[in-house]
Amino acid sequence: MKPFDIVIVGGGGAGLYAAMEAMKTNPALNIAVLSKVYPNRSHTSAAQGGANAALANKAKDDTVEMHIFDTIKGSDYLADQDAVEVLCGEAPKIIRELENMGTPWSRLEDNTIAQRPFGGAGRPRCCYCADKTGHTILQTLYEQCLKKGVIFFNEYFVLNLSVHGSRSRGLIAMNMKTGKVEAFAARTVIFATGGYAKMYWNRSSNAAGNTGDGQAIAFRAGIPLKDMEFVQFHPTGLRKSGLLVTEGARGEGGYLINKDGERFMSRYAPEKMELGPRDLVSRSLETEILQGRGFDSPAGKYLHLDLTHLGADLIKSRLPQIREMTMNFEGVDPIEEPIPVRPTAHYSMGGIDTDNFGRTVIDGVYAAGECACVSVHGANRLGGNSLLDILVFGRIAGHTAAQEAGRFEPGAISEDEVNQQLEEIRSGMHASGHYERYGALREELGQTLALNVGIYREATQLKQGIADVAELRERFKKVRVSDSSDVFNTNLLQVLELKNMLDLAGSVAMGALAREESRGSHTRTDFPTRDDSKWHKHTLATLVDGHIILGEKPVTMGRHELQERTY
Amino acid sequence: MTVSTDHHNEAKRDVTFRVFRFNPQVDSKPYFDDYTIPVERGITVLRALNYIKEHVDASVSYRAFCQAGICGSCGMRVNGISMLACTTQVWEVLEKSREPGIIKVEPLRNLPLVKDLIVDMDPLVGKMTHYSNWVDSTMPEEEMGKKEFLISEEEFLKYDKATDCILCASCVSECSILRANKEYVSPAVLLKSYRMNVDSRDGSHDVRLAELVKDHGVWDCTHCYRCQETCVKSIPIMDAIHGIREDAIEKRGVKDTSGAKHAEAFMDDIAKKGKLVEATLPFRTNGVFWTLQNLLPMAVKMIMKRRTPPPPPMVKPSKGIKVFRSMFREMSEHVKQDHQSHNK
Ligand SMILES: Cc1cc2nc3c(=O)[nH]c(=O)nc-3n(C[C@H](O)[C@H](O)[C@H](O)COP(=O)(O)OP(=O)(O)OC[C@H]3O[C@@H](n4cnc5c(N)ncnc54)[C@H](O)[C@@H]3O)c2cc1C
Ligand code: SF4
Ligand code: SF4
Ligand code: FES
Repeated sequence: MKPFDIVIVGGGGAGLYAAMEAMKTNPALNIAVLSKVYPNRSHTSAAQGGANAALANKAKDDTVEMHIFDTIKGSDYLADQDAVEVLCGEAPKIIRELENMGTPWSRLEDNTIAQRPFGGAGRPRCCYCADKTGHTILQTLYEQCLKKGVIFFNEYFVLNLSVHGSRSRGLIAMNMKTGKVEAFAARTVIFATGGYAKMYWNRSSNAAGNTGDGQAIAFRAGIPLKDMEFVQFHPTGLRKSGLLVTEGARGEGGYLINKDGERFMSRYAPEKMELGPRDLVSRSLETEILQGRGFDSPAGKYLHLDLTHLGADLIKSRLPQIREMTMNFEGVDPIEEPIPVRPTAHYSMGGIDTDNFGRTVIDGVYAAGECACVSVHGANRLGGNSLLDILVFGRIAGHTAAQEAGRFEPGAISEDEVNQQLEEIRSGMHASGHYERYGALREELGQTLALNVGIYREATQLKQGIADVAELRERFKKVRVSDSSDVFNTNLLQVLELKNMLDLAGSVAMGALAREESRGSHTRTDFPTRDDSKWHKHTLATLVDGHIILGEKPVTMGRHELQERTY
Repeated sequence: MTVSTDHHNEAKRDVTFRVFRFNPQVDSKPYFDDYTIPVERGITVLRALNYIKEHVDASVSYRAFCQAGICGSCGMRVNGISMLACTTQVWEVLEKSREPGIIKVEPLRNLPLVKDLIVDMDPLVGKMTHYSNWVDSTMPEEEMGKKEFLISEEEFLKYDKATDCILCASCVSECSILRANKEYVSPAVLLKSYRMNVDSRDGSHDVRLAELVKDHGVWDCTHCYRCQETCVKSIPIMDAIHGIREDAIEKRGVKDTSGAKHAEAFMDDIAKKGKLVEATLPFRTNGVFWTLQNLLPMAVKMIMKRRTPPPPPMVKPSKGIKVFRSMFREMSEHVKQDHQSHNK
């Protein structure tokens, strides 16, 4: 295969926008997108609520400046303010761009793009398409990429980066349909592989494949990961499956109720009530449960999200997917009964450390979207800011890579290197005498993380979490792959995903143990307050000779001074 | 204590999953494997497959991603009908199983088989590309991002439902024409084409339409309604198919399309006999009156454009043919008047 100018890993919103923009920037470039699922299956499709932009269609007095402030405050002042300015400043343009390309946004009476209130935002600025916003954005982008003739390698599982010194030569990937391991020599690589919150397994709203592959590959290649300890829990996961009931349900007026029939948010955010920021609402639910005001069930304790007062018409027209989902997975019709919910791991704020242009420490390697940490979300992401993040920074990374590709020599990946990968897979996993069940390891990883590295954290528990992860990594060496077929070996692929999660989990737990303060999504019961003097900084985790070394990086400040965060 | 365990046991049933197996590397032909596992109420077919994969046989292969009915990965046939495994309740399908206690799981039809429950989606993507399933914006690229198109609620509603499609290919799997002709455009692609064609931001309507009326295009559809009955998102796919056909007649007339003649013959058949070959009849789902209301006007319009009067009855008229014919005549009149008043 001819070397590529740009290889993009991931066909979600970030990857597709990067591909489109790179082609636009320089149509002569040879660009490919590799994705382990068909791009339209990517997890971006699951985003229901919407994307923020200060279009001022709904609230005429909304401004980019207010969006910036809400984002910085929401981040608990850990976001880099210059990056946030880019995010919010580009927002109106990028939402209109999508509109111009065909995204079917819902409309207001004056025929402009509809907006609704979302948690942590001072104005209703979340642009939406019913409750299928991510789905329609992803469709639009995929359609436009097909129109532009982007080259897709669908169902290719990227295994590793080929790094020599401070330079990347490209990627090594497995063609899932044939099992063949292939080299993709490239001048530049963009990672857009999505989040790692599936580590929490059954206590996660994420797709089965959100296993942090890109982060793990970068980590193994020596690229630092930033702020990995910040994992956002969404307040309203379905009790049984962890699947998400979007914030849109609260935006439309849903109530959170405990077993005493109280709208308990009045205790925690008397002004914003149910529309307080995610971390605060999640903690409120967890506190209600811990203090015994939750409902009991065999699947665990839970609370009610009540929509019944909204009426059948509104629920059917504005929240149809939520209704379908709660009926399919929980057997509850929200028109008639409240929905049983509890917090669920949802979004990874941390990720591959990049600058505002998507660059990493390795020349020619970029990252964007949920797998990257620019950082615009800091310690807590606002609802509706992530779709925005993947679009804005996907585009920027595509643009930067297209401009810089000429600087780098096309890499060459030797056959030896490819064979070595293959050998590693074969010997490590197919060997006889292996007995550990990958399903069990995965389940246990999720359990220990939810229990010890969950919403409320504390030193002894975190140490337990770290020890558990180390033990699971040891046991993984004896994991069994019983499917010996080359064609679509999902058994092997799931084991490789598990390996990626195990490689990353330590960085989450260690970051959480090091950060002796409470900020945003990270709540230490033994250090209950924010400590700006010691911890107003990013953590960086780097893998050195198989050991995780923690470092730090200053936060870029700007117009907004540190303040206490209250709602 | 014992009470609760008993209760627990009662709440589980032994279910046999009869799973289609085929590994192209070793098997010369497909076969079925039976897996019997305990399943409690509330478990989906996908969860059951996950259980089999994790606990019984890790080599069973299928696609799944979101596990929430939104990514479209897990389309497969459960007891013969195409659906999403992740939104299908085991206990519910069990009630309808032909053989008690057994649920048959097979791959989608009409797409090339890869392994076990996995089929190749590339042909579908190829068709989406062939039929320009994208909005070709009338706004030049360099102008994008500056201002919004203003879109009315009315227009939005025209394509709102169609944009629910998650490309799961369940409809593709059930399409009766695709079984005979793999080149056929496919219901999901017709749906998407229609969605693009009614979008006022799009500038490629005519190109798309010209492609759709060719061989293997919109006129090959037999109106069997299987796609719509199957759609996992309850999208009225037939509205899109009718929409494209009416549009084609409106914009292009009928003479230039060989396919339109099929449709015409089909309509002639109704006028003649008041009945049709069963496979092509929407009666089963929609009844005679629905068919009259929805299909006849189009037939009449077509015939008026060609200025051919409806042929006289010839063979054995079926029951209800009188009503049928008089309505047909009435509508022909109606359209004729419309036509004349337009020409004035
Ligand atoms: C249920 C849910 C609801 C959400 N709702 C909202 C919302 O309302 N608003 C909002 O702003 N955000 C929301 N989010 C967050 C947002 O959807 C995600 O952060 C965002 O879509 C991530 O996009 P992405 O392009 O970075 O990655 P993804 O869309 O996850 O795409 C990742 C891509 O990488 C590919 N990939 C991964 N690993 C490999 C590998 N090893 N080899 C090859 N390819 C690989 C995958 O195939 C996929 O194509 C929600 C998230 C969830 C879970
Ligand atoms: S109605 Fe047409 S497209 Fe739909 S299944 Fe029947 S033949 Fe196929
Ligand atoms: S039209 Fe319905 S059944 Fe067909 S692919 Fe789309 S969602 Fe699936
Ligand atoms: S797994 Fe995504 S639709 Fe079933």
